[in-house]
Amino acid sequence: MSGILVIAEQRRGELRPVTLELVSAAQQLRRTPDERVAVAILADEPDRFIPEVSVAGVDEVITVPVAAKDFDPDALEAAALALIEARKPAVVLVPHSIDAFGWAAALAVKGDYGFATDVFRIAYEDGKLIATRGGYGQKVNVELEFPGKPVVVVALRASVFKPPEGRSRPAVSRFEPPRAGTRLTGKEFIEASAGEDDVDMTSAEFILAIGRGIGEQANVERFRELADAVGAVLGCSRPIADAGWLPKSRQIGQSGKTASACKLYVAMGISGMKHVSTIVAVNADPGASIFSIATYGVKADIFEIADALRRQFPN
Amino acid sequence: MKILVAVKQVAALDEDFEIRADGKDVDPDFLVRDLNEWDDFSLEEAMKIKEASATPVEVVAVCVGPEDADEALRKCLAKGADRAIRVWDETVVGSDAIAIARLIAAVARREQPQLLFAGAQSADHAFAATGMAVAAFLDWPHAAVITQLTYTPGEEGATLRRELEGGVLHEMQIETPAVLTIQLGINTPRYASLRSIKQAAAKPIEVLTPQELGVPESAVGEAGSASRVRRMYVPEKGRAQMIEGSIEEQAARLAQLIRERTGGAA
Amino acid sequence: MTNVNAATRVLFEDFPPAAIVVFYVIAYTAIAVFFYGVYVAVRKYRRGAAAAVAGSLRARFWAMVETVLSHRTIARRDRPAGAAHRLIFYGFVLLFLGTSTITLDYDILGPLFHVHFWHGAFYLWFSLVLDVAGVALAGGLLYMMYRRGWLKPPKLDYARPDRKPGDVDYDRSEYRREDWAFLWTLLVIAVTGYLLEAVRLVWLEARPDVWDTRWWSPVGAALAQGMRAAGMSAAAGGAWRLGLWWFHGVLALIFIALIPFTKVKHIFTAAGSLMLRDPLAAQRLPRVPEQQQRVGAQYITDFTWKQLLALDACTKCGRCHEACPARAVGAPLSPRDVILSLREFANRTLDAGVLPEQAELDVHGKGPGQVAMETLWSCRTCMACVEVCPVAIEHVPIIVQLRRKLVEEGEMDPQLKKTLQTIHKTGNSFGESKRKRAAWTKALPFAVKDARKEPVEVLWFVGDYASFDPRNQKVSQGLATLLHDAGVDFGILYEAESNAGNDVRRVGEEGLYEVLATANIESLATASFKSIVTTDPHSYNTIRNEYPDFGGRYAIEHYTTLLLRLLKEGRLKIARQLGRRVTFHDPCHLGRFNKGYDAPREILRLIGCELIEMGRCRSNSFCCGAGGGRIWMPDPQGADRPAHNRMREAAAISGLQVFVVSCPKDLTMFEDALKASGNEGRFVVRELIELVREALSERQLAPSPVAA
Repeated sequence: MSGILVIAEQRRGELRPVTLELVSAAQQLRRTPDERVAVAILADEPDRFIPEVSVAGVDEVITVPVAAKDFDPDALEAAALALIEARKPAVVLVPHSIDAFGWAAALAVKGDYGFATDVFRIAYEDGKLIATRGGYGQKVNVELEFPGKPVVVVALRASVFKPPEGRSRPAVSRFEPPRAGTRLTGKEFIEASAGEDDVDMTSAEFILAIGRGIGEQANVERFRELADAVGAVLGCSRPIADAGWLPKSRQIGQSGKTASACKLYVAMGISGMKHVSTIVAVNADPGASIFSIATYGVKADIFEIADALRRQFPN
Repeated sequence: MKILVAVKQVAALDEDFEIRADGKDVDPDFLVRDLNEWDDFSLEEAMKIKEASATPVEVVAVCVGPEDADEALRKCLAKGADRAIRVWDETVVGSDAIAIARLIAAVARREQPQLLFAGAQSADHAFAATGMAVAAFLDWPHAAVITQLTYTPGEEGATLRRELEGGVLHEMQIETPAVLTIQLGINTPRYASLRSIKQAAAKPIEVLTPQELGVPESAVGEAGSASRVRRMYVPEKGRAQMIEGSIEEQAARLAQLIRERTGGAA
Repeated sequence: MTNVNAATRVLFEDFPPAAIVVFYVIAYTAIAVFFYGVYVAVRKYRRGAAAAVAGSLRARFWAMVETVLSHRTIARRDRPAGAAHRLIFYGFVLLFLGTSTITLDYDILGPLFHVHFWHGAFYLWFSLVLDVAGVALAGGLLYMMYRRGWLKPPKLDYARPDRKPGDVDYDRSEYRREDWAFLWTLLVIAVTGYLLEAVRLVWLEARPDVWDTRWWSPVGAALAQGMRAAGMSAAAGGAWRLGLWWFHGVLALIFIALIPFTKVKHIFTAAGSLMLRDPLAAQRLPRVPEQQQRVGAQYITDFTWKQLLALDACTKCGRCHEACPARAVGAPLSPRDVILSLREFANRTLDAGVLPEQAELDVHGKGPGQVAMETLWSCRTCMACVEVCPVAIEHVPIIVQLRRKLVEEGEMDPQLKKTLQTIHKTGNSFGESKRKRAAWTKALPFAVKDARKEPVEVLWFVGDYASFDPRNQKVSQGLATLLHDAGVDFGILYEAESNAGNDVRRVGEEGLYEVLATANIESLATASFKSIVTTDPHSYNTIRNEYPDFGGRYAIEHYTTLLLRLLKEGRLKIARQLGRRVTFHDPCHLGRFNKGYDAPREILRLIGCELIEMGRCRSNSFCCGAGGGRIWMPDPQGADRPAHNRMREAAAISGLQVFVVSCPKDLTMFEDALKASGNEGRFVVRELIELVREALSERQLAPSPVAA
């Protein structure tokens, strides 16, 4: 088996940027300089995306037309299975995304492939593919290997690999997948309830996020005011959104949005967080696990810091 | 009509845990076990369908795990599940999500439910794969990360919504029987009082081995898995650069950082 | 010369026999109606669940008699009402005894044994005493009318916080009408009694043995003088006498007949409730019997016959309503209204000849007579209501039993649900690993003995807050140092200690409470010690009063008594007098629950603090608001809190320097409230242990070593 196959992800006619992160990761898996990296586009109009995926490092783009406009796991699995059986790549990369949750594992079972998800480091060691992911709530790291599996499907964590810079001119080919019955049909997309307080987190560059540490709902306003004063977008952890103290659109973290444009993230009273470039963690608990991934830490009472910080931005 | 709910007894790390001698897992003394949070929601969804149904609905909870997993199943029984099944023997040790899914699929073949629920992911390892792997073994229609479900027992198909990145919901129609993985927040799980858990202890839990389910030894454990743990280790704790000083001094440094990083936007 | 021995009153004088018969028919009818009412009430009580009465009934009876005769419970927190009620009570009792005496003489001893004693000196003294009794009765009634009509204390306006205008049972005018009717009826009976006395004297003025002894009935005589001065003739007197006789008599008989149907029944129900009281009602809650199918109270028939009787004892005095901290901050809970709702519900359903369908007996909800969830969850189980109730109604166990049903159904605040699940998983309400329970000891310069491994003299049951909350950890470290310095041989259970369960039980999660209590008792069984000491009054209460029901019997004290002993014995030497002006907040579970008022005050005196009591102190201490699981539930936005209310009370003490507490939850709640109520900088909140430490060392102590 040789070659790395990246399966692009698209939704509603747009390529999801995480696809390009997969291309970066694919580069690291070349065992020889001429091992090929191919990007497969499984969509009803795959050709539209060829320019977008033609980034540095891509040797081939394979267009795979599938019938459904929207997400169709049966079609994706059948198409991917056929493609993999035809091309026999050593590694198949998909994103660890909501869509992939819905079909990647099924693909791995149908093809009897190796399988790992939420992987943030992947490399060959002594000729063996080793994928590293978290364990026990991200408190440990786990290295996985895939003995006896010539083909391995890996779902990669988002925001870990930087998209490649530069373009390429890949060869383009087309692959006709077998027809697949559809048992899951898309009906419509419903935007997150467009309340007044809703905001698009994915474009926010400076986020101030609050967590359970704020204590009670009455305190949300204080931090909203602080966020306004310092020029940040107010975000929150899941418990806050679940309790209805802030709309779901402001939720960041595991099952919330990827704060992908965020350059500075100030976390007040939150104990954990995914990877963002610069994190400033404010927490009264010196043992809060966020201090191990934050860039800067302030061990203090969040209310006292909030008040003092507010005074730094008089307006 | 029957709903099969696959649950997992997850493990959380105690303070000051230690990796065991073979370096592949945490010393079990430091593991605190509990029912997976997602499974509270799947079970509740099954109970909602059962309680709203005009025709009888049987809710069966199934868990692949050793004896202490009975606790998770008891909680399901306490909340109203009719029966509970546990699958285990020593050959299951070392199974990953795929191998476990194979066992759950075997139970499903035996039970013939109309719906099979699993949690969208587990709180400990979050592979987010077991549910969909079961669907592949059964070749059933499948959908993941469901935040809303409309199903009437006796009718064909179900309407569901899956929650996408950015909070967008995708409404879809699925054929039944189907495998669905359930996301947090789909409902409000009921409280199982200690008393009801104690009373549930009277209900029997059926224990099955992989062999009894027709799953050979080569298909479970490490042999039946799609991955194998080579090593588990505690990552080097990166350390944040701590900002010291009085509250005022810390806030001043913070403000400086903010102004630097946001180009003085504020 | 008047034949004193002949002094008596001829009953039914000049009555035609038919009239006497009519009278007796009315009388017996009234008595029959009375007994029918009693029958309906007893039938109602018997429709409740069974209950055992502990202790000797005789002892209980005499204790009740003593309580009633002394009027001790009625005088509390309303001395004028207590005084007026004494007058009414003694007046009424004497007048009733008087009538009974006459009946005894006339209807029983006379006809059966030809014995008459109601004449002569006895009769004269009898007349005097009863005249005075009537004055007392009337005087008391007039004061009560003045109180209701002019003074209008808020607790008597019956405004209820658990209903809104427009709700069917919001309006309480019917109660007010009944109250006034009661007062007026009795007053009219008393007044017509005197008038009757007077007109009889006018009528019989010609008879020396009546007229010459008239001043033995001074009020009647004075009225008679006035009537005669106004020109009333003997014949007119006779006519008035006849009219008043029937009016007074029939009114009194109607009054008696209606006793079981009106507020007047409190004469019997209050006595019954007092007689059956459980002095540990709120401190020791009842277990759920093993075989019981349903847990807690859902239907009115789930309450015991004792509780149903107690519901009838309530006279709406409003003392519990006044004392309740939840009510004081505007929560939809008044203990009085819980009792009255249940009573109205019981009367509506259980008075009926045929018991209604079970579905109609559900007391939970927002319908008339039902109790809402929000009401039940507002309770802090501080037992201020139980403690002050003059007729020994036990509100807290009733509320907890209603909560038990809510818990079974999972109907509670989501945060409370999570906390209960956390406690089940980790044995503490903080969600911390069990191993971290003794982490606070690491900062100490000496080792704290592990009571599981070696015998100790004193086992210190630390409690959740004192183990895990950073501010309280400092206090624990302080006490550990004190005990160490005093040479006390003490140890703790380390990870084997779980939440004692006091508040879990009061939330209504009885199953989880049993798990916790059983676990702790097992842990204690592995240790060897002489006595237990605890810094947590909640743990103190449950281990002392409730663990014995689960097989755990120990000698246990709160740290204040131990500390006092150490100070008195000189094992801790006071180095300086602090000279601070302080006030002391009695913790509910130490003070009101277990009468531990004195040791902390004694300690404050020994260390030279000037103690200024707040108005609501000792048994009337005002709860910090954390009890009953409320510390695990969010408070409604913008609402007042009991702790803030208490801070305002403290702030009124001029020159106050320290607000002293001796409970970990109090420390947490009041430190927050100090800031939130704007009193930061005016005075500080300190645990008693911290003050003692200051008095012991030569130098001024900064807060104790940093929490682990």
